[in-house]
Amino acid sequence: MSGSFSGVSVDLSAVNGPTGDDGGVAHGVRLVAFVDAVMSGDDAALVRERAALRSKLTDEARVDTCATVGAFNVVDRIADATGIPLDAGMAAMSVAVRAELGLSRFASAANTPAAANTPG
Amino acid sequence: MVSSAGDLALDYSAAGVPVRDDLRDAHRTLLDGLRRPGCWFTSAARLAIATESRNAPHCALCRERKAALSPEQPRGAHERTRAGRDLPDAVVEVAHRVRTDSGRLSRAWFERTLASGLDEGPYVEGVGVVTMLAGLDYFCRALGVPPFPLPPPLPGAPSRHRPAGLRSGIAWVPILAPEDASGPEADLYDASPMIPNIARALSSVPEFVRLLQHMTRSHYLALADMSNPAAGRAIDRMQIELVAARVSALNECFY
Repeated sequence: MSGSFSGVSVDLSAVNGPTGDDGGVAHGVRLVAFVDAVMSGDDAALVRERAALRSKLTDEARVDTCATVGAFNVVDRIADATGIPLDAGMAAMSVAVRAELGLSRFASAANTPAAANTPG
Repeated sequence: MVSSAGDLALDYSAAGVPVRDDLRDAHRTLLDGLRRPGCWFTSAARLAIATESRNAPHCALCRERKAALSPEQPRGAHERTRAGRDLPDAVVEVAHRVRTDSGRLSRAWFERTLASGLDEGPYVEGVGVVTMLAGLDYFCRALGVPPFPLPPPLPGAPSRHRPAGLRSGIAWVPILAPEDASGPEADLYDASPMIPNIARALSSVPEFVRLLQHMTRSHYLALADMSNPAAGRAIDRMQIELVAARVSALNECFY
């Protein structure tokens, strides 16, 4: 799976799990492994991945990574607990990406009308 | 936004790295908000909800539900904390489910929760408490800092404020659209041409719209920067979005 972001080709499949390469994102492998460790509850893995990330990113970059993890643990829960639909513009733009990533497998897909799965 | 919470001293020393001032301010603002009475809950109740949600990952019923094919199948009672012992069952259910398994919440679950005696306003306020604290706790976990202790409650009564102009039918909960914001909510949204649904979702309890703005501005990007692919921080935009998308995939969040 691939996509284009600001003219740069990136591998989207890492969103669904480790792929073994950075996929066009600097230190993508380490970032995904770190997120997985944070979210898993596995403290030993988190210690390991935090150290691995330390070898790749500056202190500021690591703090920013942690902040992003925090932010999306807020917004994901808000979205799913309030049943908000995907915004119309975003829904139209993201049909192909959502299909490639198989996002309709998530229960919260039911909150967005099926018509939003038609390209705009 | 500068918090009024100068007395809340948060210890980041275990991280071994400097933490930006705007992040620290957002954290103090959040905890200061939780210790104050809200629209529908007293400060003690809000902190009890926070405590319940923080303990939810250790609740046997939540663990069983998380592992089950259907989260509705395991039945039973949540393991409560001492702080949450007097909270209504429906409030505890919200605190636990939103924290531990939000990706599998359904409209049917929401409607059952309201039918059991929880009104929409308190529901939204409970969601606000649980979600904000989850973000703070995950930040701490990622950084290697112990979860910040919850402060003691401050006195006061709930305001019982319900914004004028709320509309039903867009989401499970009533939403205040920017064009309908007036009175105390006149400045709730900034002047961005597009205010996404996520920014509106908690608008029946406006405090949490403001808190979310503060949180996302410091932890992710300002709303005005979100459509700018070059916007970033010490990690670039692609790295930010990979981290964000992976978190959302693990949370099973379609939005």
